[in-house]
Amino acid sequence: MTYRVALIGAGTMGGVHARHWNAMPGAEIVGVLDPRADAARAAGPAFADWDTLISQSKPDIVDICTPTPFHREYVEKAAAAGKAIFVEKPLSRSIEDCDAMLAAVEAAGVPAMSGHVLRYFPEFAAAKRAVDAGKVGKPITIRTARMAGFPDLGGRPNWYADPAQSGGLVLDMILHDFDWLRWTFGPVTRVFAKGLYGQEEYFGDLDYALVTLRFASGAVGHVTGSWAHPGGFRTTLEIAGDAGLIEHDSDRSAPLSAMLKTKGGAGGVAVPESPMAPTEDPYYQELAAFVHALQNNLPPPVTLQDAREATRIALAALESIETGKSVTLS
Amino acid sequence: MTLKIAIFSFAHMHAQSYAAAIAANSGATLAGVWDADAARGQAMADLYKTTFYASERELLAQGLDGAVVASENVHHRRLVEMAAEAGVKAILCEKPLATTVANARAMVDYCAARNVKLATAFPCRYSPAFQSLLQKVQGGAVGKVLAIRGANRGKAPGGWFVDKALSGGGAVLDHTVHAADLNWLLLGQNATEVYAETGSEFQHAACEDTGFLTINYDGGVFATLDTSWSRPKNYPTWGDVTIQVVGTEGVIDADLFAQNLVCYDDTAGTASWSNWGSGTDTEMIADFLRLTAGQDAPRLATGEDGLRAVQIALTAYESAALGQPVPVASGN
Ligand SMILES: NC(=O)c1ccc[n+]([C@@H]2O[C@H](COP(=O)([O-])OP(=O)(O)OC[C@H]3O[C@@H](n4cnc5c(N)ncnc54)[C@H](O)[C@@H]3O)[C@@H](O)[C@H]2O)c1
Repeated sequence: MTYRVALIGAGTMGGVHARHWNAMPGAEIVGVLDPRADAARAAGPAFADWDTLISQSKPDIVDICTPTPFHREYVEKAAAAGKAIFVEKPLSRSIEDCDAMLAAVEAAGVPAMSGHVLRYFPEFAAAKRAVDAGKVGKPITIRTARMAGFPDLGGRPNWYADPAQSGGLVLDMILHDFDWLRWTFGPVTRVFAKGLYGQEEYFGDLDYALVTLRFASGAVGHVTGSWAHPGGFRTTLEIAGDAGLIEHDSDRSAPLSAMLKTKGGAGGVAVPESPMAPTEDPYYQELAAFVHALQNNLPPPVTLQDAREATRIALAALESIETGKSVTLS
Repeated sequence: MTLKIAIFSFAHMHAQSYAAAIAANSGATLAGVWDADAARGQAMADLYKTTFYASERELLAQGLDGAVVASENVHHRRLVEMAAEAGVKAILCEKPLATTVANARAMVDYCAARNVKLATAFPCRYSPAFQSLLQKVQGGAVGKVLAIRGANRGKAPGGWFVDKALSGGGAVLDHTVHAADLNWLLLGQNATEVYAETGSEFQHAACEDTGFLTINYDGGVFATLDTSWSRPKNYPTWGDVTIQVVGTEGVIDADLFAQNLVCYDDTAGTASWSNWGSGTDTEMIADFLRLTAGQDAPRLATGEDGLRAVQIALTAYESAALGQPVPVASGN
């Protein structure tokens, strides 16, 4: 069968999803909902409202790529309509919302997955496999870093710059790391964080956070999140165990680096590139994994419960930034 | 005039590099060495073509201008005070200055009261990469500094380093002091609060080998620091010192030991990094000799600098025990 997909929100992430849905055998976009009509049309058949979208496009899957504050509303609506749900991370700004979404999905008995795509990044997937295979022995210190510029919506009103909507980079970006760390190293018991979150003079332009985690296993983690790196994007990963060490640095594994003359002959900046085969693109992989689970009646590989737990770590980090104290997670 | 310098103990391996730098400096002579381990002391005296003294007092009676103390950490105070008492003009003490704040304070006061200049061996200050970072940050390259992420990791040491009775602590004390000192230079602000997660699961020894610190500074800058002895045995080099300075106008990453040749050796079966960056000890020793000669050596870390760094490291232990941040006691 071909899975019929309704896309909610056709911005940056919705655009990426649309591209992959269109490339995926066995899936097609049958409807798009976005108040920005042009953006909706560019992604597929546009609809003006939810009811029409659902009744006319008859989707099997509702894929929610709206800004974070609208996730709960659409998850509840999609669950009530009996649709399979893919919802971008973070689930929401609050645990209450997460619980309401979990309850809605459970009551409706629909499959649901959240977009913790880092699990599908090949370097992170490979690192997890290596850890599981005992390559570092017992993991003891783990460091990840995700460093970028402040999110740019190309002149559209920037909801990322409103901490009440996005939660800043702790909830929006290094949530990815929290999920991957929890998936790979187990539950987190204590969180201590410092960051620019809540400092109004910087927010909207800059965010930076350094988060320390204690795992139930005894391991210690450290996550760097930056929206203070002008231009570029870099991730690093390091897992030290009692029998070895794994290191990754995106700057050191880019197979292409172009440095081209600009018009007029002035020097350009080096632009690194790390291309992947189309079907190995992590965003393709996560959507394909969801479809695979649906096809085989398996639980989705990243559940809303997983997403809730990652959100809990991020919210604990924000609480720690606000209170200056460590936060214990039971 | 040639300055007469003596080295008290080679327990810390840095003493060899200091000995070489003193021997190579035309303004100084290595007047003798003392070591509690006579065999080691004799071997070092032979190596650096000087005399081994089995008695500290006998060596101190040789009319020394300066003393370098590189013993196990817990003996720093005794040796520093002995040298100050004997009337040397300046003393360079290996880091950490002491294993308690009270001892560090006492050493600083003891030397001050006798007009002896006390310096702490913080060679990272002399790293050209750090100097360049410092210049850029002070010149406003990153705008207002908001945060610093540091790391100073190493392979697991052995011997007295992991014997708390001699070292006073593990990875936290050993490495925090370097990075705390660099932060001090970058910020010129005192630490107000320290949080730490520690552990001892790499080596399962009595002292910690894992240290993840968060340090708050006057003025609101926050910093974290990884001090762990987390490099595996076959890591291509001894460890690292890295600093990411984040400001309103951008970010600078410094990797103080990045200037390496990568060497693959089939005979030894190893891949390793061979550092070709500038050494730091020659410059530091040159400054120490200036200090000894009564000149200014503003780049050299003082006893106060050593004390400030020790205080941050020791506060980390308190925090780790509590699981909460702990204020750095003021008024030291
Ligand atoms: N997994 C990842 O790597 C990743 C990366 C970026 C963003 N995200 C997440 O994806 C979500 C979207 O982020 P984005 O960067 O694409 O934002 P965006 O602003 O580019 O896109 C959001 C789109 O949703 C539309 N929209 C707003 N309100 C809506 C509503 N009520 N109903 C339908 N559409 C609505 C907007 O017009 C816009 O086109 C966020 O939750 C974000 O955290 C995930």
